[in-house]
Amino acid sequence: MPDIDFFAFFRFWLATIVTIYASVITLQSFRSWYFWLAGNDKYSSLLRRYLLVHGLRLRFKTFWGDVLICGLLCIAFFIIWHAQIVLNDANDTLKSSKTDTTHVQRAVQHS
Amino acid sequence: MSSAPSNIPETKMLPGGPASPSASVPQSAPTTLEVLPARTPARQLHELPKDELKTLAEEFGLDPSRLQSPQHLVAALHERRQLIASMDREALLDIIKWARRPVPLNASKEQLAQEIVRIRSMRFDGLSQRGLVALAKLRSISVIENDAVPILVKKLRKQEGFFARLNRRRRSMLGTLVSNIIGEDEKSSDYQFLPPQDADAEAPKATPPRPATIKEEIEESGLFGGIAGRIKKSADTYVNQKLDEIEARIDRKLDEIDRRLGEWRDKEIANRIRILKITLWASVIVGVVSLLYSYIVHLISLWRS
Repeated sequence: MPDIDFFAFFRFWLATIVTIYASVITLQSFRSWYFWLAGNDKYSSLLRRYLLVHGLRLRFKTFWGDVLICGLLCIAFFIIWHAQIVLNDANDTLKSSKTDTTHVQRAVQHS
Repeated sequence: MSSAPSNIPETKMLPGGPASPSASVPQSAPTTLEVLPARTPARQLHELPKDELKTLAEEFGLDPSRLQSPQHLVAALHERRQLIASMDREALLDIIKWARRPVPLNASKEQLAQEIVRIRSMRFDGLSQRGLVALAKLRSISVIENDAVPILVKKLRKQEGFFARLNRRRRSMLGTLVSNIIGEDEKSSDYQFLPPQDADAEAPKATPPRPATIKEEIEESGLFGGIAGRIKKSADTYVNQKLDEIEARIDRKLDEIDRRLGEWRDKEIANRIRILKITLWASVIVGVVSLLYSYIVHLISLWRS
């Protein structure tokens, strides 16, 4: 009987679908913005410069707290991911050692 | 201000000292050499058509009807320019102050002279001796540098002519009458030059000179000319004031739009970052739960083995 972990199954497919969905939405948004701003007329050029000026006038101090928290959360997320990988490896090792022990016991019984 | 003539740089060749026999500068006066920007003249005087030469001659206070051929006009213009170049700048500024003409302090001698030839006033009170000499020269009157003020005034009045004087008196009376009807007061203030040409925008701005009274305007331009000029000035002032108000209103509106856009931009970015933070919190919580689940599963399998 196959050993299926339903939680791991759900987690894997949820992560995959959500990642693909978010990537598609983000790329679509970037594409529409790019085509909107890439115009050659003077109004598009004016808009580009205006956006650039607004970007330069952005006050980082207003958001620096939230940005810091986002950075720390990203680091925490990658640490948890790494811990998950380590734990999975440990589980695999445990399973393989258990299988090896069973095989050895069977071989001893046959002999 | 009048526009600069088409070939100003010709005067840069001329020295500041005496150039014509009728215009001798006293030896005691400091000779100032004016440094003019080196520009190549667009066209020489003799290349200009006759009507342009006539207009130029009028701008320099010459009577083009007395100068028939273009050669005569060119010669007269050249002579007039030499005369202007040899004049004392301070004397020209004295006339400008006396006539209260709106001129920037750094205007060239030719610009000052062009403004002076438009002055028709015959009230010489308050004008210095050197100013009277310069004015007489620009009105093509033969004078000597050391002439006394009464003699200069007499020569200037004599040049006006009988009928012209009569007309001026008539206009003066009419001006007085209109001035009395309107009830305009003749308060005088110190003359101030216009802001210098090509000056920085941050330079302190001088207030414009006091405008001529209605009486003076009627005396110079006649009843209808004076009143029309006054109405035009009032209309100009009103329109300029309204334009300034509209401009200020538009500026205020643009500032308001810019401020609101800035606020919207900050709010929008703050919202996006908040959404990102919530997503990250959710991801981390799910990750921790998943890790705990895996750990428990790992412990159970260890316990079973």
